[in-house]
Amino acid sequence: MASIMRPSLLRQSQTASQRVYSTFARQPSPLTQHLRPAFAPVPSTRIAAFHATQRQAILPALPQKITGTLNEPTVVPDPTPAHGSYHWSFERLVSAGLIPLTVAPFAAGSLNPVMDATLCALLVVHSHIGFEACIIDYFPKRRVPNLYKASMWALRLGTITLGVALYSFETNDIGVTELIAKLWNA
Amino acid sequence: MASTRLLARLATQRSAAAVRTPVFTRGFASVTDTTARNPAAKVAESIVPDPARKVVPDSETSNVKEPAPEKDSKLKTFHIYRWNPDEPSSKPKMQTYTLDLNKTGPMMLDALIRIKNESDPTLTFRRSCREGICGSCAMNIDGVNTLACLCRIPTDTTKESRIYPLPHMYVVKDLVADMTLFYKQYRSVKPYLQRSTPSPDGREYRQSKEDRKKLDGLYECILCACCSTSCPSYWWNQEEYLGPAVLLQSYRWLADSRDEKKAERQDALNNSMSLYRCHTILNCSRTCPKGLNPALAIAEIKKSMAFT
Amino acid sequence: MSSMRVFQLGLRRAAAPAFRGNFAGRMVQRRLANSQSTSASSAEEILVKQRVNRPVSPHLAIYRPQITWYGSMFNRLTGIILSGGLYLFGFAYLAAPTLGWHLESQSLIAAVAGWSTWAKASAKFGLSMPFFYHSLNGVRHLVWDTGKALSNKAVMQSGWAVVGASVAASLYFSFLA
Repeated sequence: MASIMRPSLLRQSQTASQRVYSTFARQPSPLTQHLRPAFAPVPSTRIAAFHATQRQAILPALPQKITGTLNEPTVVPDPTPAHGSYHWSFERLVSAGLIPLTVAPFAAGSLNPVMDATLCALLVVHSHIGFEACIIDYFPKRRVPNLYKASMWALRLGTITLGVALYSFETNDIGVTELIAKLWNA
Repeated sequence: MASTRLLARLATQRSAAAVRTPVFTRGFASVTDTTARNPAAKVAESIVPDPARKVVPDSETSNVKEPAPEKDSKLKTFHIYRWNPDEPSSKPKMQTYTLDLNKTGPMMLDALIRIKNESDPTLTFRRSCREGICGSCAMNIDGVNTLACLCRIPTDTTKESRIYPLPHMYVVKDLVADMTLFYKQYRSVKPYLQRSTPSPDGREYRQSKEDRKKLDGLYECILCACCSTSCPSYWWNQEEYLGPAVLLQSYRWLADSRDEKKAERQDALNNSMSLYRCHTILNCSRTCPKGLNPALAIAEIKKSMAFT
Repeated sequence: MSSMRVFQLGLRRAAAPAFRGNFAGRMVQRRLANSQSTSASSAEEILVKQRVNRPVSPHLAIYRPQITWYGSMFNRLTGIILSGGLYLFGFAYLAAPTLGWHLESQSLIAAVAGWSTWAKASAKFGLSMPFFYHSLNGVRHLVWDTGKALSNKAVMQSGWAVVGASVAASLYFSFLA
């Protein structure tokens, strides 16, 4: 009956002996299948794999886990404008402010130490926000909370160090724009 | 009816008692993973296969040929992503199919249906309307997300087509991706009119032609998830970032003049993950099979929330 | 099933006695996989187990290279190169006195002045290319944030325009200026 209803099935069964599907031809050895995942579910080794292997560069996916049924919405986080709309607006203001500050010193040729200092401050903030975005994207808190925390603190430390370095460079030396202009014509 | 059913059951029992090899009585539903019955494989039940396991490339799989090739046939090769949940720990693979374009309809969906009908009934994909209004057949064809029913088969037979499920989604089987999270996220933006006051004249809620016009380009979204799954931000952070499709839907209600919960809707997005993981990569607008512009909708949301 | 249809079925069976003997046996499929009824909660458990086995579909490696996401990727990369360079210079500048390095502007300028023309030009190009790309693309982003130039055509045109302009500008500033 089945063969009458679905002639394609019959045809398939006839050709089945000639055709070799790869699942049968290339079945992975059961030994490796049983051994490998023994390491898998431990989160810390997954992070290690992220660093140590070239299997997949960014965030290898975890096994699928869904909390709640299809009919329940995902959790809506509490509003935190400091990380949301204020952050975004501030970021845009800084980026927009960088444009005249980078163009002016080289176009006008005049070197104002106040403008140079402002440029440095905005560069530090802009870089910090940029790196922060990378950390949030690639080391998400829910996935790798410790790495997230560590890299965030490292970034804060780095940004403060950079601030100190640029301050001393501005006060003791000739300033960033001047240095770039002189290096360019060296 | 009950009595006939009983008779039928009795008849089956009788025939089962007779000598009958299982091969001939085998039905359609079957478990092909024979290792599952192996007691040693019971250990494997607790084992989690790596979701990021590599795909077996098409160079290492077989080729399912056109069922009845003719002399002047236009043979085109399709490489299709396959994964069978009945063999849970196996790797996904790229299966090759060759079809005669002269006997196939013009769209990718026609090719898939023809493969399923004529060469490999195990190929699994979603499809319904075949005219781009249901969004079921969303998949990644030749590297871009689109609806198979709206995507023409490139007639250049020297180029091989590759069909994958929607990128970075959990695969239920073959080209069927699990959309549970996507729908849950859609639910989280409350996609319905929210009002606390009745309409002034006690009749329907009205809006001007200009206000209605603001919803053009938003209401047409069919939630096929092509845009969301084309977004690298959504790939890496889909647990928290809502993605272009859901944000476009959110803007559809934010932009609606009749909705009275605009502030609440904005508050729900006002955190670092839900909305602001959008880095204006713009893959979403590029790939939308309905020609909508999710990136513009997200930009409008960000603009309306700026400095507030 | 309507009673009408039951009646028809019954009639047909009575009319075809030769068929009857075999009928039930052919209609009912025997399945090797045992089936058992499940409650809602155990069905949920099965689903959870199945989800664990699911692979993730390919993404980065199979998505078609397009100016949209490649441009965004290079924007982030160039940003990391530039800011990373700034951070490294800052750290080195602070550590220089203790490590005995000379990173004061005079010694830096003197060192660069000693390089060959080609070394200078290629170093300039290596620095100005990320700078111009990131800056010009940043302007593009600021325009997008106002809700303008977001159509597919405008995005593609401005994307390639930024690539062309940054190559031209960095070539000009590294070899001519």
